[in-house]
Order: sequence, then C-alpha cells, then structure tokens
Amino acid sequence: MTVRRDLDRTVARLLTGGTYLSVGLMAVGVVLMAITGVSPLAGAPAFDPRQIPADIVALRPTGFLWLGLLVILATPIGRVIVSLIGYLASGERRMALISVAILVVIGVGVILGVAAER
Amino acid sequence: MILGGFAAGLFGSLLGLGGGVLLVPLLTLAFGLSLREAVGVSLVAVIVTSSASAAVYLERHVANLRLGMTLELFSASGALLGGLIAFALSDQALAGLFTVLLLYTALTMARRREEPAAPSPSGVEADGIMDPVPGDLGEAIVTPEVPTGTDVTPDRGIAADLTGGPGAGAAPYAVRNLGLGVVGSLFAGVMSALLGIGAGIVKVPLMNLAMGVPLRVATATSNLMIGITAAASAIIYLIRGGIDPYVAGPTAVGVFVGAALGSRTVHRIDVRILRWLFVAVLLFTAWQMAGRALR
Repeated sequence: MTVRRDLDRTVARLLTGGTYLSVGLMAVGVVLMAITGVSPLAGAPAFDPRQIPADIVALRPTGFLWLGLLVILATPIGRVIVSLIGYLASGERRMALISVAILVVIGVGVILGVAAER
Repeated sequence: MILGGFAAGLFGSLLGLGGGVLLVPLLTLAFGLSLREAVGVSLVAVIVTSSASAAVYLERHVANLRLGMTLELFSASGALLGGLIAFALSDQALAGLFTVLLLYTALTMARRREEPAAPSPSGVEADGIMDPVPGDLGEAIVTPEVPTGTDVTPDRGIAADLTGGPGAGAAPYAVRNLGLGVVGSLFAGVMSALLGIGAGIVKVPLMNLAMGVPLRVATATSNLMIGITAAASAIIYLIRGGIDPYVAGPTAVGVFVGAALGSRTVHRIDVRILRWLFVAVLLFTAWQMAGRALR
C-alpha cells in the first residue's frame, strides 16, 4: 500500500508541475501576442519543432505557445513513464506491460499522424 | 478568446461540466472556427484541467491509478481511432454528433438531483456531470454517495489487482465487469477524439454503475484517464495542423484561470438557477449546432 501511495504522490507532483509549467509558458506566449498585436484568429505558422528554440530566443509568441502545448501533451505521457518505472521497481509486471502498451498506442498515433500528413 | 476560455472554465467548474462541451460551441459559433479546429483546441484545454485536478485526486489517494491505466489503454486506443476518423468526417457530420452530445448533456443536467452537496472529502473534477463541491483547482462535482459495497465479487485475474483499498475516496471496493469497462472506454476514447471532450459523461456512469466503483473514485479515475486519452488524439491533431497555438494558448490559459476561480467560489453560489439557465443555453446551442449540421 505504501508503494502505491508513493507512486500516486510522485505522479501527482509530475502532473502538477507539468500543468503549471505549460500554462506558464502559454501565458508568456499570450502576453507576447498582446504586446506584438497578434490576433488569436491571425492563423499561426505550421508546427515546426526545430523553429521553437529560435522563436523563444527572439521572444516570438509562437515559440512559447508551441513549447507550452508540447509540455501539456507530454505531461500525461510522462505520467505513464513514471508509472512504468514505479511498476518495474515494485515488480508489478502486469501493470508495467499495460504502461508499455499505452506508450505503444501513443507511438502508433505519432507514426500514423506523420504518415497521414505526408 | 481568453475571456471565452475563462467563462468556459468558470461555468464548467461551477456546473460540473467538462470544458469541451462548452468550448467547442463557443469557438465554432462565436469565433467562426471549424469543428475540427475547435476540437483540437478543446482537447488541449481538457488536458490542462484534467491534469491539474487528477493531481489533487492522486495526492488524496482517491483516484485508482491501476484501474485508470488499465482502462486508458483502451480509451487511448479509441482516441487514436477517433483522431484518424475525425479528419475523414465533414464539419456537418461532426456538428451533428455534437448536437446529440449537447442534447444529452442538457437532459442529464435537467435530471440531476437538486440535493445539496454534503460535507465530504472534497474531490476535483474537470470532467463529467456531478454536483459541485468547493476546493482546489477544477474541484467540484462529487455527489456524496454510499460507496459500492465490499460484498461485490471481483472478476478473477487482473480485476483482483484493481481492487481499491480504503482511502480518502471510499471504503474498500471490488472492480467487476472489466470487459464492459474495456468496451465502454474504447467508445469514450472515440467520442473524446471526435468531439474534444473528456467523455466523463460515459466513463463515470460506466465505472460507477457497471463496474462497482464508488462514484468519487470513478470521477477521480475518469479525470486521470482524460489526460492520456486526449493526448493520444491531440498528438494527431497537432501533427496534422489541427491545433492553432494562437487560439489554443489564450483559451487554455483562460480555462485554467476560470476553473481555478470556479472551484473557489462554487460554495458561495446557488448553482441551481445557473444550472437551469445553462440547460436553456445548451438547448439553444444544440439548435445552432443542428443548423450547422444541416447546412
């Protein structure tokens, strides 16, 4: 029971941290939108992860907004990875397998999404 | 757009609705986005609120992480399927589906019991339809209910692993009808991806009524499942250009702040009048959405 509660607590902290980081990044992006006069309906440039660092350095809103979006999408995935580590550490093979299967589903989604876009 | 997200988060929190059922009509009917664009943005907002609230549920040991992860394998698979189908469906077809969701939500809200929430360990909620209770971010919405008893015989095998122990959420309980839970989760995942909702409206009754999970635990576990379910389809939306950060950013920030405020003010407001007003709004929105479907 203690192991379960420890895992619950670790996952909870990850979710809280990921959410606040993501919302913080998006809030910076929104403030930069307001400062630079970008309308929410202006239509953003297409998603290009390689462009994010340069956009952030240049204080362009898209850099912070895309990074915030990536962080919030990664937060639940990170939760599954942390759970997987916890289950492996406690020898819960069945739950570890389920965690891996969830990550496989996410991976298949990425592959299918990229394939469909080409 | 920030104000729109704020309003969706605030009223969603006060009324115990997920953000999606409010956000998607707002973004389509008020801001002129296509259904698919609105669904992509809504999925992001849903992950924000559900992650924040699921964290509180886990910290209080109300959510059943094992049950949630077992079911979310199937809800994520459904979301993957739904995310692919969504790009094949027309705007009219999605509007038609959303009209049905709005009518069902209005009906569920109208039939909701008017009992005041009894003092109970407060929970959090970013999804589903239940009665609001004050508390932390997104906190609302847990109807006090006697937990399903311990006399329920669990399925053998994996279901025995998912049995919940005593904690802040409920007395010990046993999980049953796991097969039904799997099928229901798959369906909930497809609906989530197609309509940009958390689909607690499907998962909570499924876990509570069919699987013998206490309502508080079902609500908490449903919230936990939303994150990975919505992420599975949101990734497809992101890669295929279905999420506009200029829309998603302000909306997500607004929803986050609105849900936080709603959870802190819900105990000071008589939501019964608000609820009936909202039933009327939902019906009007359903009418507008039906018009879009029949265009």
